[in-house]
Amino acid sequence: MARLRYADAITSALREEMLADDRVFIAGEEVGQYLGTLGVTSGFLKEFGPMRVVDTPISEVGILGLGIGSAMAGLRPVCEMMRMDFAMVAYDQVINHAAKIRYMFGGQFKVPMVIRGPSGVGRQLSAQHSQSLEVLFAHVPGLKVVMPATPADMKGLLKTAMRDDNPVIVMEALRLYFEKPDVLDAILPGLSEVPDDPDFTVPFGKANVLRASTDVTLIGYSAMTIQCLKAANIMAQEGISAEVVDLRTLLPLDMATPIASIKKTHRAVVVQEQWGLYGCAAEISAQIAERAFYDLDAPVQRVTGAFVPMPFARNLENISFPSEHDIVIAAKRTLGR
Amino acid sequence: MAKKPTLDLTKYVRFYEQMVYIREFEELIGKEWNNAAAHGMGGYMHLYSGEEAIAVGLIGGMDLSAGDCFIGHYRDHGYALAAGSDPGEVMAEICGKATGCSKGKGGSMHICDAARGFYGGYGIVGGNVPIALGLGWALKYRNQKNVCACFFGDGSMNQGAFHETLNMAQLYKVPVIFALENNGYAMGTSIERSHANQDLRSRVDSFAMRSVTINGQDIFEVHEQMAQIIQEMKEDPHPVFVEFKTYRYHGHGAADTPVTQSTYRTRDEVARAKEEKDPIKFAQTKLIELGVLTDEMITDIQARAYASAEAAMKFSDDSPYPDPSELIKDVYA
Ligand SMILES: Cc1ncc(C[n+]2csc(CCOP(=O)(O)OP(=O)(O)O)c2C)c(N)n1
Ligand SMILES: [Mg+2]
Repeated sequence: MARLRYADAITSALREEMLADDRVFIAGEEVGQYLGTLGVTSGFLKEFGPMRVVDTPISEVGILGLGIGSAMAGLRPVCEMMRMDFAMVAYDQVINHAAKIRYMFGGQFKVPMVIRGPSGVGRQLSAQHSQSLEVLFAHVPGLKVVMPATPADMKGLLKTAMRDDNPVIVMEALRLYFEKPDVLDAILPGLSEVPDDPDFTVPFGKANVLRASTDVTLIGYSAMTIQCLKAANIMAQEGISAEVVDLRTLLPLDMATPIASIKKTHRAVVVQEQWGLYGCAAEISAQIAERAFYDLDAPVQRVTGAFVPMPFARNLENISFPSEHDIVIAAKRTLGR
Repeated sequence: MAKKPTLDLTKYVRFYEQMVYIREFEELIGKEWNNAAAHGMGGYMHLYSGEEAIAVGLIGGMDLSAGDCFIGHYRDHGYALAAGSDPGEVMAEICGKATGCSKGKGGSMHICDAARGFYGGYGIVGGNVPIALGLGWALKYRNQKNVCACFFGDGSMNQGAFHETLNMAQLYKVPVIFALENNGYAMGTSIERSHANQDLRSRVDSFAMRSVTINGQDIFEVHEQMAQIIQEMKEDPHPVFVEFKTYRYHGHGAADTPVTQSTYRTRDEVARAKEEKDPIKFAQTKLIELGVLTDEMITDIQARAYASAEAAMKFSDDSPYPDPSELIKDVYA
């Protein structure tokens, strides 16, 4: 076991897969000579050369087109978006093309590519650089959407993504990138641990119970899973024991694990970072209502970001996305407290 | 041969002063970045030092009170100051304060000043360029004798949006100045490593658009040329592409440290640019030669500029953070 930061887990997954499969290449802005905007591809250009670590102009449409076409032709590209917000510039390539090609051509082609990059709230990055746009991808058949919360999942899910034969969107929580192993392990012992085995992967569509318990089920993904763990720690001090389910992937979505948990706790809180309206938590709540309505002792609660573009001012930013305290309040509501 | 019009030298002394004000403002931010959190600063921070003559000379050639307007990208403090926006309000925005021009909701990348025709700074590379088409269209639609300037970097020219926009702008003959601030780099990527054709001006030839290259370090050249072009655009609406050759002194943003900068440029290169291409020094030398600027004036301007930046910081520091009730305001009109 190694104790890694989230960012190190990305590096580790990318590097191992590049070593294992020479069809894999990385393309994106500042991935090579600059050593990566956030350093995850540091040293890659030197190690793998310019055909496998491609520094591109600021041309997201071009980057994704490069990925889609070369994937159709048998390579396994990893396209980095410097921030997932910038993928919106090239949304057409993802939604109208990458997601459609397999089906539209009756299965003759496949598009084995990864589109990855940091996503979600950072620190005072404001309206155009703080979004969690996963629902825009998770709404679309033909794509897979991966939202890792822990270093181990980051590594294991990214490796699975790189071996998958479909376009996979890997949305990395910017806020978790450089969280120190000690800080993570203080939230939950072992949270920073990543298996050394180069064949370690994490399958898609299998949610993970990070903290087993009986009173209430907290369901999260990506950075919000960490918020749920913090909330569970606070509640533990007040004698409430919360189970934390990390969804890991939104598409495919594993509902069996959270529903098994709800059958035990009879209460559920679903947490997501950004806008609640029509969001992922709405989908999950609906599936709970369809499949576990009679197991519930209280209405499902959603905790989501404020329905506003991200403000810059630190005090406003802090109240714009779910805190652990918001989750505690929602959990207590399901308990009538 | 037409006689060269004589320079309005008091105007250039004013431009010189504006450039010094912008420089001091930016340098103070750079210095206070060590203490960013205490001021409320955070996130990205893109400074304009080295490029001042472009904003000052071009915006100084527009008539903002008569309806000329402009739009920019995230390296936007200098645009606002060149337009005469209140430095305190700009600084307060950079620090996320309630008194900021965008009420503390936009931050450094999203300065604006509707009253002065500044339609804002934008954070998506190339994202502001299509909007300029619309701003220019509105001017033409209303038969206004006005122009719109759109500031963007060399990196923007590699966005598809740029090429769609220039084609349409020429097709519809909108009065937009596409003002390329070619500082040689998009973050850590040089022109050589990102443009197949490194003669950026020639990249717009395919749109049959009027274009010109200007030394962006020379306030006289920037302003004289732009004033002439703007006049012609007002008589006969049409777009113009202007390549300003310039150089940025600081890292791309605050996160672009000396270490990351060493991946794409040498300290020597930066030092040489500061020595040889500084727009303020250039203007200073020339204005002294022309006999309209003295050492005493320089000292005085410098002192006032510094005091203005300090006063802006103090105004910001004394200002409150936005009230939490602001969170949900201004989502809709
Ligand atoms: C669509 C998009 N892709 C990437 C980025 C990240 N980014 C922000 S600024 C920048 C460099 C832009 O350089 P340039 O246009 O030359 O302007 P300069 O910073 O040199 O003034 C990059 C890559 C972004 N903001 N938007
Ligand atoms: Mg540039």
